[in-house]
Amino acid sequence: MSEPAGSPEPGAARPDSTRTGPGRLLIAVYGLFALAATARAAVQIATKFDHAPVAYLLSAFAGVVYVLATITLAVGSPAARRIAVVSCSVELIGVIAIGTWSVADPATFPDATVWSGYGSGYGFVPLVLPVFGLLWLRRWARRTDSQRTIVTSAGRRGTE
Amino acid sequence: MSCVNGAVPTTIIVAGLALAGYALLMTALNRRMGLVLLAALGVLEILLLVLVGMVVAKLAGGERPASVATLIGYLIAMPFVPLVAGFWGAMERSRWGPAVIAVAGLVAAVLMVRLHEIWPVIGV
Repeated sequence: MSEPAGSPEPGAARPDSTRTGPGRLLIAVYGLFALAATARAAVQIATKFDHAPVAYLLSAFAGVVYVLATITLAVGSPAARRIAVVSCSVELIGVIAIGTWSVADPATFPDATVWSGYGSGYGFVPLVLPVFGLLWLRRWARRTDSQRTIVTSAGRRGTE
Repeated sequence: MSCVNGAVPTTIIVAGLALAGYALLMTALNRRMGLVLLAALGVLEILLLVLVGMVVAKLAGGERPASVATLIGYLIAMPFVPLVAGFWGAMERSRWGPAVIAVAGLVAAVLMVRLHEIWPVIGV
């Protein structure tokens, strides 16, 4: 059997960085997509680039964005979190834009990308992933803001 | 053209889905990583290595899929799935450790379907 996860107090189980708690799962899935998208794009570009150049270049771009999101979520510093927010936003815009493009003009995509059909080839995970990523990052932005407020108000009290 | 015995990929699909189900149950019950999950990951690892061996033997026999590069990529990446998930999940001391293991189980099952698409001689 697995062990029970310690004390039930919410404070004790609170994750202490973007890579713990739900972030652990998020980074695992991001890492998987980073590997899958970049490796797939590398093989496609190396072996049959002329077959579907737009699709393969978009796959490569998606791969780079996933790698960036995985690394910045795992690092979790304030600067890394800002880059992670940009990566997740680009991903969300990308999956919606490329999804729509691929449905409207299938001729440009003779071979699928991670984002074509809104990520339908990957169980729509590419559509859901950036949403969870942004929600997770927003929680951290809020927490840091409230901590900063506490620190500055304590500092102000100290000078009075 | 002879086929790779479909019993191993089928077993991996069933084992992967069962592992994912059990791990998700642990997440739902707010349990952290335990020995049962690590042992199950070990079984999955052995099954994947057996399959890699069988496919490599098939390649050594001179048969080739349409995209050799893709197949080799899968053969290299596959054994890392339970290993990386095990380390990454064991570092987590909350319910989210088993959630990572659930992903590994699902990925193993999906990989079998993808392998069959890459090279139909690998039965499911």
